[in-house]
Order: sequence, then C-alpha cells, then structure tokens
Amino acid sequence: MFLAVKEMQHEKFRYGLIIAMIVLIGYLIYVLTSLAIGLARQNTLAIDSWEPKTVLMNRDANISLDQSILQKDDVGHLNKSQALIGQMAVIAKESNRQNESARFIGLSKSQFIYQELKTTSGHLPTKTNQIVVDDKFKDDGYRLKDRVVLNSDNTKFQIVGFLHDQRLNVAPVIYGSLSTWKALKGYRGNQIIGSAVMNKAGSPTYKHKAVKKYTKSQLVNKLPGYSAQNMTFGFMIGFLMAISLVVIAVFLYILTMQKLPNYAVLRAQGIPSSMLVKATVYQSLLIVVIGLVISGVITWGTGKLLPLGVPIYFDIPVLLAVSAGLIIISVLAALIPVRRIITIDPVTVIGG
Amino acid sequence: MEAITLNGVSKDFGSGTSYVKVLHDINFKAQTGEVDLVIGPSGSGKSTFLTIAGGLQSPSSGEVLINGSPFTSETRRQQEAIRLSKIGFVLQTYSLVPYLTVQDQFKLVDIFVKKNHIEKERFNQILKDLQIDNLMTKYPSQLSGGQNQRVAIARAIYPDPEIILADEPTAALDTARVKEVGKIMANFAHEKGKAIVIVTHDQRLSEFADHQYEILDGRMRPV
Repeated sequence: MFLAVKEMQHEKFRYGLIIAMIVLIGYLIYVLTSLAIGLARQNTLAIDSWEPKTVLMNRDANISLDQSILQKDDVGHLNKSQALIGQMAVIAKESNRQNESARFIGLSKSQFIYQELKTTSGHLPTKTNQIVVDDKFKDDGYRLKDRVVLNSDNTKFQIVGFLHDQRLNVAPVIYGSLSTWKALKGYRGNQIIGSAVMNKAGSPTYKHKAVKKYTKSQLVNKLPGYSAQNMTFGFMIGFLMAISLVVIAVFLYILTMQKLPNYAVLRAQGIPSSMLVKATVYQSLLIVVIGLVISGVITWGTGKLLPLGVPIYFDIPVLLAVSAGLIIISVLAALIPVRRIITIDPVTVIGG
Repeated sequence: MEAITLNGVSKDFGSGTSYVKVLHDINFKAQTGEVDLVIGPSGSGKSTFLTIAGGLQSPSSGEVLINGSPFTSETRRQQEAIRLSKIGFVLQTYSLVPYLTVQDQFKLVDIFVKKNHIEKERFNQILKDLQIDNLMTKYPSQLSGGQNQRVAIARAIYPDPEIILADEPTAALDTARVKEVGKIMANFAHEKGKAIVIVTHDQRLSEFADHQYEILDGRMRPV
C-alpha cells in the first residue's frame, strides 16, 4: 500500500486523469442503471405495493390486466389475503388542469389492497364518487377536492387523497371503487366482478377452468413493453460494463508497463515480486474505489438536480453490486500484466 | 570469511554470428571486512560481473556462492530473499525509486527488511558525510546526478547488508566527494566487517581498496 499511495501522491496529474476516467465510467453506469431501475419501477410500483405472491386472471387474457375479465362464478369466495381489482386505462380531465393518462384500479374497501393504502395527504375514498391518486397528479397541479372526469363519462370524481409511488405501466394510478370500474367499463349486472385477484399469501382456490393462476413476475413481465425495455437497458449496461473492462484494463496495463523500470529497481533491491503485484492491485483498487465514490456523489447530486418527472431511482443494493462488479473487473484488469511484473528481469532495464 | 565467491563463471549471449562471450572463466573471492575494486573500461563486462555476483542474472557456466552457500542454484524467490537481507546494490542508473522522496527510500527499506538496520546515529553521520542530510524531502528528479548517487549509496548501506555491490558509484562525483564516498565505503567494510565490491573505471577509488582487479574483454586478473 505504501508504494501504491506514494506513487499516486507523486504522480497526481497522471493518476488524476485515470481517476477522472473511472469517475466518468462510474457516473455513466450509475446514472444509466438508476434510470433503468427508475423506469422499470414505474411499471410495477403499484403491483409491488400490493405484494401479491400470485394472481388469478382469465386464462385467455394472455396475462394482460387490460384483457382479463373475471366473472363471479370464476373465483367464488375471497379470503382476507385476496383482493379483487378492476383495472383499466383512463384519461383524467379537469377543466383547469392538463389531461392525465392514468390507470384506474377499482377496489373493495373490505379487501387488503384498499386497507393497506397509505395516503400522503387527504384520506382514502369512502364513497363511490371519491378517488385517491398518485402524487404525479399533485406534481401536475391537481389538488385535493379537485373534481375530475374519467374518459367520456359525465360523472365527476373528487380527489380526496394523494398516494406515493403508485404507478402501473408508467402511468399514475387512480384508486376508486369496483362499481366505478364497472361503470366506466360499461358492464352491467352482477356477473362480471373484476380484472384479477391478487393473492398475498398461500395457494388460492378458484372454481372455474377459465381462471388461471400466475406468479407476480409472470404478470410483471407481461406488462406492455416492460420486458423489452428492461432487456434493452440490461444490454446497454452490460455492453457498457464490458467496454469499461477493456478501457480500464488497457489503461492499467499501460500504467504498469510504464512502471517496469521502477519495478526493475525494486526487484534488484530484492523487493519480492509478490509485494509488487500487491502494490499494483492495491493501486488499482484505490483508483477505482476513489473514482466510484466520486461518481457516486456526482450521481446523487444529479438525482437531486433532475426534474421530478425523470424516473431515476437509486437502488443501493443494485448500485453496490454494480460497484463491486467494476471493482472486481478492475482488479482482474490489474492482474493482466502481473506475469510481466513477476518475470521482469532487472538487468534488461538497468543494463549490464 | 568469503562473502562472495565466483567459481569459473562465464557468460555468453546470442548464438551464431551474434554470439558474444562477455565473461571468461571468472574466479573471484570477496572477503568480509575488505573493499574489492574491479576496474575496467566500458564494455569490459564489469556490470555483467556485478549483476551475476548479485544474482540479478545467471551465469552461462560456473557458480556463485554467498557466504559459502550456493546462490546460483537457488530459486528466484530464495535469491530475492538473500538479496533483500544480505546484499545492498548501488546501480549505475535507476538506483532510486523515482516517486519516493529520499526519506521514503529509506522507509521502503524499513517496510521490507525487518531485521535491525544500521545504528541511527551512525547512519545520520553517514548522511552528513555524504551531504545529503538536508535532501530528505526531495524526489530523485530534484537531485543532481551526484546527489542521486550519494543517496543510492546511503540507501544501500542503510539496511546494514553483509555485502555491498556498487556499479560506478562515483561516476558523477567530484574528487572531494569521491574521497568521502571511498572513506565511507572503506570504514563500513573495515569497521563493520562488510564485503564491498565496486566495479568502476574511476581510478580515484584505488586508494580505498584492499584488493584491486582489472577486467578487460571479460577476463579478470588481480592488479
């Protein structure tokens, strides 16, 4: 560590440049990862908040909440760990505000999703003409007691509460009653009851062969565009990591090659090659850790400066895993020229 | 006691038309408590002789013994350990680590050589005699050639090695400094019982040598 630190202190500009390069690579990867996670979360925030283990949907709906219709006879009696939802895409309109594309979720007050909702302001709806909405509405200028129209329906719904992190397929969620959902859908009678049943625990029972049980991840992966978007970001980050590996490896290799005369002197003095390898690895570790800490701080600052609408989310475990990956990559890159260090012949550099 | 022994050491490079024999059947013994001076012109094989004696390269034939024990046949790692604990090198060029201050050159020795170093008072006196005691915070690039050489000499002495191998240690020094270096080397050998081998073309060191050898076209003979 002594050799590593002393060399960095002496060659401030050279190591400053390398650290700056790591900072930029780290910053790019952190921001891209955080944006990817942020966007992915906006697809699933509402579902994540319900914490379903399994979902009952219409077998022919291709695991799409938009397409799934459940009839009363399909599911039978629901227990306390089950909640029926009616889901549809809506446009919320208020004369003085911008139109808002949203997802309406109809709930039953007696079931767990409704009971576990937590408002950031206002209260949960108690009447059929009341709704609670995601904070996105507030960011766009909507206020408590605003009365909105959903789609082309003439009924006005009063916003009685705001909720945090309630998005489905990127759109903000509006929670109302199941009867409202039925009315908006134009379903009459008692036969159609909802879109899906969320099962929080255990294996649910269902009566009809038209119904099928899916896992949460099956439901999430079938959300429109979700898998394609995640795969695209995954490949982008993967390629970026791979290219970073090559860039870091090349830099560290050049750096080590430039130091061979110094290593030759140290070898001539009898400093064990294992110590020189350790110094090289420590130095790489130090460079990358310093670089990543700085890029982490810059990324955090960027997150604070970005407009509210930008879906950036700092998933600390994921970012730590990415950092660990970069650190491991760098240490491996630093080990590439190790053979050169071990086999360096002091005489070739010193002369004689 | 024989600190370094070279028995029938030859060194050749290349093959065919590029074949060169740099050292011819060298037999040499350096005793503890003595200074041996090996004098020869450039290209005579002096540095090759010294690097083979210090285990930095292997002879093509013959063997090197350190304190009577085989050195040439040791593994690379064992040779490094012996070099670290028993041999101090003063090299013609690149003797110092460029990114360490003079002070840190000695600190590096502290880190890697765990045995007792030369007594502090004596070492401080050597620094004063070499006139480098006021250069402790300087980097090698901030020193003159002569100052670099004097620091390299101090650095070689600092871990109190049994043997010092010096390659042209006075090349960049004026006569007064040469005398100072010669005196320090001789005192170190005589008072502390060290074996010092200096290869040089600098005749000014002759007065400090207990034995002198001449090396010419790879052949060595006592003078």
